Amino acid sequence: MTTRSTRSPRRRTVIALAVVLAVLGAFIVRLVDIQVVNAKEHISDSMEKALGSSRPLYGTRGSIVDETGQTLAGSILVYDGALDPKNITAFEAKGGFPRTPEGGETVRVPWAEAAVEIGAVTGQAPEAIQAIVAAAIAENADTQWAQLARGLTTEQYRTLADLGIPYLSFDPHPARTYPDGAVGGNLVGYMSSDGEALGGLEQSQDSCLASDDGKLTFQKGKNGVTIPGTDRTVPAVDGGTLQLTINRDLQWYLQQLIAEQVQDQGALSGAIMVTEIATGKIRAAAEFPTVDPNNVSASAIEDRGSRIFINRFEPGSTFKPLTAATAIDAVGMTPLSVVTASGFENFPNGARIGDSFSHPAYDYTLTGVLIDSSNVGLAKVAEQVPAQTRFDYLTAFGIGGGTSIPFYGQAVGNLPTVDRWDNQSFYNIAFGQGVETTLAELSGAYQVIGNDGVRVPLSLIESCTAPDGTVTEPEIGDPTQVLRPESAIAVQQMLANVATQSGHAKNLVVPGYNIATKTGTGEKSDGQGGYKRGVYFTTLVGLAPAENPQYVVAVTLDEPTRIKSSGANTSAFQKAMTQVLKTYRVMPSTEAIPVLPKFG
Amino acid sequence: MSTANALPAPRRKEAPGRRLRVVEQPARRRRPRVAYAIVALAGALSIGATQMVLSILTTQTSYELATLSGEQRSLTWQKQILDDDIAGLSSPQYLAANASALGMIIIQSPSYLRLSDGAILGSGSAAIGASTVDALGRAAVPNALISDIPLVTAPDATIEGPPAVTETEAAADGTIVNPNTPPPLTEGLPSPSTH
Repeated sequence: MTTRSTRSPRRRTVIALAVVLAVLGAFIVRLVDIQVVNAKEHISDSMEKALGSSRPLYGTRGSIVDETGQTLAGSILVYDGALDPKNITAFEAKGGFPRTPEGGETVRVPWAEAAVEIGAVTGQAPEAIQAIVAAAIAENADTQWAQLARGLTTEQYRTLADLGIPYLSFDPHPARTYPDGAVGGNLVGYMSSDGEALGGLEQSQDSCLASDDGKLTFQKGKNGVTIPGTDRTVPAVDGGTLQLTINRDLQWYLQQLIAEQVQDQGALSGAIMVTEIATGKIRAAAEFPTVDPNNVSASAIEDRGSRIFINRFEPGSTFKPLTAATAIDAVGMTPLSVVTASGFENFPNGARIGDSFSHPAYDYTLTGVLIDSSNVGLAKVAEQVPAQTRFDYLTAFGIGGGTSIPFYGQAVGNLPTVDRWDNQSFYNIAFGQGVETTLAELSGAYQVIGNDGVRVPLSLIESCTAPDGTVTEPEIGDPTQVLRPESAIAVQQMLANVATQSGHAKNLVVPGYNIATKTGTGEKSDGQGGYKRGVYFTTLVGLAPAENPQYVVAVTLDEPTRIKSSGANTSAFQKAMTQVLKTYRVMPSTEAIPVLPKFG
Repeated sequence: MSTANALPAPRRKEAPGRRLRVVEQPARRRRPRVAYAIVALAGALSIGATQMVLSILTTQTSYELATLSGEQRSLTWQKQILDDDIAGLSSPQYLAANASALGMIIIQSPSYLRLSDGAILGSGSAAIGASTVDALGRAAVPNALISDIPLVTAPDATIEGPPAVTETEAAADGTIVNPNTPPPLTEGLPSPSTH
């Protein structure tokens, strides 16, 4: 059918133009849709499906280093191997994957043979490897992934990769290594195989150590070659370096020493802590049993933490110097002040106190009370000081205050407030019963005595150095004057006399040095309101050189059975103190300590 | 041309200097300059060629880059393998066990010589024969990284201690002979007997 209009040439032109414009319009709409509206989607599709490729750039978790910069914890790369069961089945149908040895003919390697080759590298039985694949197929016939082994070393990974097995793939990921093994393992802590910090400083200092992963994206051309100009890098951020105050050589020696001593004395556990007096820095915190962070599962669960930081105990007689210091500083007693004490006495308020050995009434000097570690004598010293004053001094010494060391699950001593002191504990707390402390708190209190009365809070962490070089030092608090210097020096001299005049004296000689010590045989709770019979938590704390103390060494043993009292600790203490003085090149003593009389 | 002249002149103001005039003869057509064409063509070609060369170079470089990064990767692997090999060898327990196997001991207090007056500070006594800790025989600080690595100074032993002595190694007279332990010196250093 024809009309006038179609015949008109002008109209025809108009219609043709309209059709052309409509088509053009459609194209423009589509173009805008592709190039503008959905551009991102299409680009990402092309990246995903065709050209694009990306891989994570792993940041390195920061190292943990000791006082001298030796690495206690570092990072390495390990590899997880995976198999493709579907691919294995496919190759198996053709008689195995093809392999062309150099200059040889292509042979087909069946799965069973490949499993033997893999097993020879990973140390798995070939049957076990085949079982892994069989199990994966049994679960899902189309599965393309089955874990072969985790944590393969680079050498294993390269050897496996060189086998040229097409259905074997590897995924690198960072892992932790502890070059010194169990040295400092109790402090450093450990990580899970998934890279999660699980214990010790790894955990509490994770914010310093943790790294951020980056990403490298690029477009691949033929043969996997990166197309020039298409790579984009989001750089990984490495973790910071955590420096500890620990000296790893000293730490090793003390760990070896305490292990031998715990075994020799038949104890449950033991610990040695070394504190630098002038700075409050912990130079070693050794204990046994402990953990090798390279092989955490080899240790019992209760041995994986640090007893030094999570245990609290009744200190016993190592508390006496604190009471004596209080009496000297607060009510003007002197090392020569005399108290009369028998082996056992009933006190007017009803308290009953006995010494560890029976003796008639002695006129002890304050020094003599410490030398013989007389509970009765010390009770008579303590009753001359108001209870609240004693509490305030003990608190100022740091007892019951914990430390500023960031250690998860850290125990805090338990010093009852004065209103909870009864007639017995009024006296008992003076000699370390009915009060609990931690090794760190006790070392801190002796640091005050050694540092002429100035308390410098203990620290275990020197600094955290970020990858950009900024150094962050932990807040540890300001030094405080707890005792007058002359009071502290008086206590130092009394303790030096304890070292030379007590029953343990001959076992405590450190040739060339004057030392100051005090032992403690602490009672252990039996968990039913009483004390365990016949077993103790023994401590020995000392300072050296006595005339100018530089280091506090504290040794504890939990329930030694060969020697049950604090005499068990003397050998460990003597060796530990000798090693500390040697490590830090402390010059031998050249002056004698004034000899103080035991009886007045 | 004649018809135009016959028409009355248009009545409009003409800008001065823009008078129309009769061209005497058509301007001579200039001959096109070959040089321009050659320059333009050569320019276009050389741009194309440069671009091609650059593109080839970039591609070439990207292959070189790929080779180099492959090389770098394999060197990194080598470094990792070597790092793994020596991991733990610097640890104090390995050093101590090696020293101990050589018969070295950890002594008590050392003495110090003061240079200013020649005074000897400290106990001044000779080292006693026993070590304060037994780093080899009673090794108690484990390190899983090197637990199977033999000591340099005693290839039979590791940091976990010397190998258990089997009965065949025990000599007939009951003394245990460890091939790594040198025989004790009883009469001074051995010297060849000469005549």
